[in-house]
Amino acid sequence: MEELIEKIKSSQSLSQEAEDYLYAISTKKNFTKGEVLIRQGQHVKNIYFVTDGCLRSYCYDKNGKEHTLQFAIKNWWISDYIAIHSDESAKLTVECLKESEVVKFNAKDLELMLTLFPEFERFQRKILERHVVSLNKRILNQLQLTASERYDLFVEQYPAIEQYTHNYHIASYLGITQESLSRIRVEKVKH
Amino acid sequence: MRALQIVKYGDIKDSLAFNEVSKPAVQATDILIEVKAAAINPIDKSIILGNLQGLLPIPFPSTSAYDVSGIVVEKGDDVSNFEIGDLVYSRVPQEQMGTIAEYVAVTSEAVSKKPGNISFEEAAGIPLAGLTALQSLEFAGIKANDRFLIHAGSGGVGSLAIQYAKAKGAYVYTTTSTENVQWVKELGADRVIDYKTEDYKTIVKDVDIVYDTLGQKYTAEAFEVVRKGGQVISVVGPLDEETATMFGMADYKLPEELATLSAEKDASYKFIFMHPNGAHLAEIKTMIEDEKIRPIVDTIYPFAESIDAFTHLATGRAKGKIVIKIN
Repeated sequence: MEELIEKIKSSQSLSQEAEDYLYAISTKKNFTKGEVLIRQGQHVKNIYFVTDGCLRSYCYDKNGKEHTLQFAIKNWWISDYIAIHSDESAKLTVECLKESEVVKFNAKDLELMLTLFPEFERFQRKILERHVVSLNKRILNQLQLTASERYDLFVEQYPAIEQYTHNYHIASYLGITQESLSRIRVEKVKH
Repeated sequence: MRALQIVKYGDIKDSLAFNEVSKPAVQATDILIEVKAAAINPIDKSIILGNLQGLLPIPFPSTSAYDVSGIVVEKGDDVSNFEIGDLVYSRVPQEQMGTIAEYVAVTSEAVSKKPGNISFEEAAGIPLAGLTALQSLEFAGIKANDRFLIHAGSGGVGSLAIQYAKAKGAYVYTTTSTENVQWVKELGADRVIDYKTEDYKTIVKDVDIVYDTLGQKYTAEAFEVVRKGGQVISVVGPLDEETATMFGMADYKLPEELATLSAEKDASYKFIFMHPNGAHLAEIKTMIEDEKIRPIVDTIYPFAESIDAFTHLATGRAKGKIVIKIN
């Protein structure tokens, strides 16, 4: 939680009341590898801020194969925003890929926080902007770059992630087959 | 719900029928799976033909097959390791046989989450053959640099056993027919022997483990190619004495020919009886997700054409698994 407060304070001032409220509505949680925080089909209430570890959100297609939407490492937020925004059941599953520590917020409490402490709006807007930028980049990369270039960017963005992910997590994030991922890696070693 | 049922022992076409049956009841330790895909194995054919009625008698009608993948839609009160919505696969136990149906109830101990990187159809083809391969080679304690012979490398068990043995670092010999040599090589086998043009007994000598998936003369021949003090593991040959005792046959003796060969070579003989096991399926799941094992599917049949799937199985010419897409 201290990490989050510090992060907010690095970009703006935060009143003691707002800080106290943030503490009051948050819960620190630890998860072990394989634990599921949000399950496809269930009601979604919470948003998670990652202070340590790595989480992944994914969905299944009709054939039962998984597609990874996002990895969340330290200082990232993760949830099923589609479900929260539209008040539908979860389209995504969020699972823990390694021992992780997160701060859990109820989405409604965070919403109320914006009303109570307007200065928090700025922070919230920053998060959303960062999220939109990240998503836009991801879409453009998918449209413009080769699989090999996308892999390079991925490794740059998540430097240590390959130690605790399966190949198919990465392949399904990049939208390529595991065989293509293996080929790309072999090519990198050759050069 | 609709199910493909065995209505009597005999020819495949006469003995199978689609029936409307009630959804299976869910016991406290069971989960109910909405079946996405089922797969068939040689044992399913033998049951229909009545070849196993002494060992595994079934009441009529009985829904056919053991291998399944699907989604958990209901669970008993004592089930804590699965949630509704989990994607799973299983080789269901004998008393819960019947996966060619819209739903199947299975004790949760026989179930594992399915590998995330393969489809329901691919996953359905894994359990029975995968458990057979894993339990056999785990019993043999296969390890790096062991020299290993498996017959019929293109079969359901063979194709998985090759990959499992390679993952453990063994040197793998296998036999197959000319048309399968290339793809069996691609599974990782070190020496693929085309049994139509080569005699495996002149190539394979003094291996640590022979894995017999063919039976008949091959069980005895295994002792010609195994090293002194090695192991012969079979899933089709005669029972060994320890296994027979377990099944209540106290006076059972290993056929004399095998007993003599085994004593002469000081090589052990063990029959492996595959047992359903969710924890073992979870191990296989990890190996598939780590790309150490990949599923091989020959044909996917729609539910309505399940009987054709069995006639295909009966030809014995499938390269990989025959799968039925249920839903």
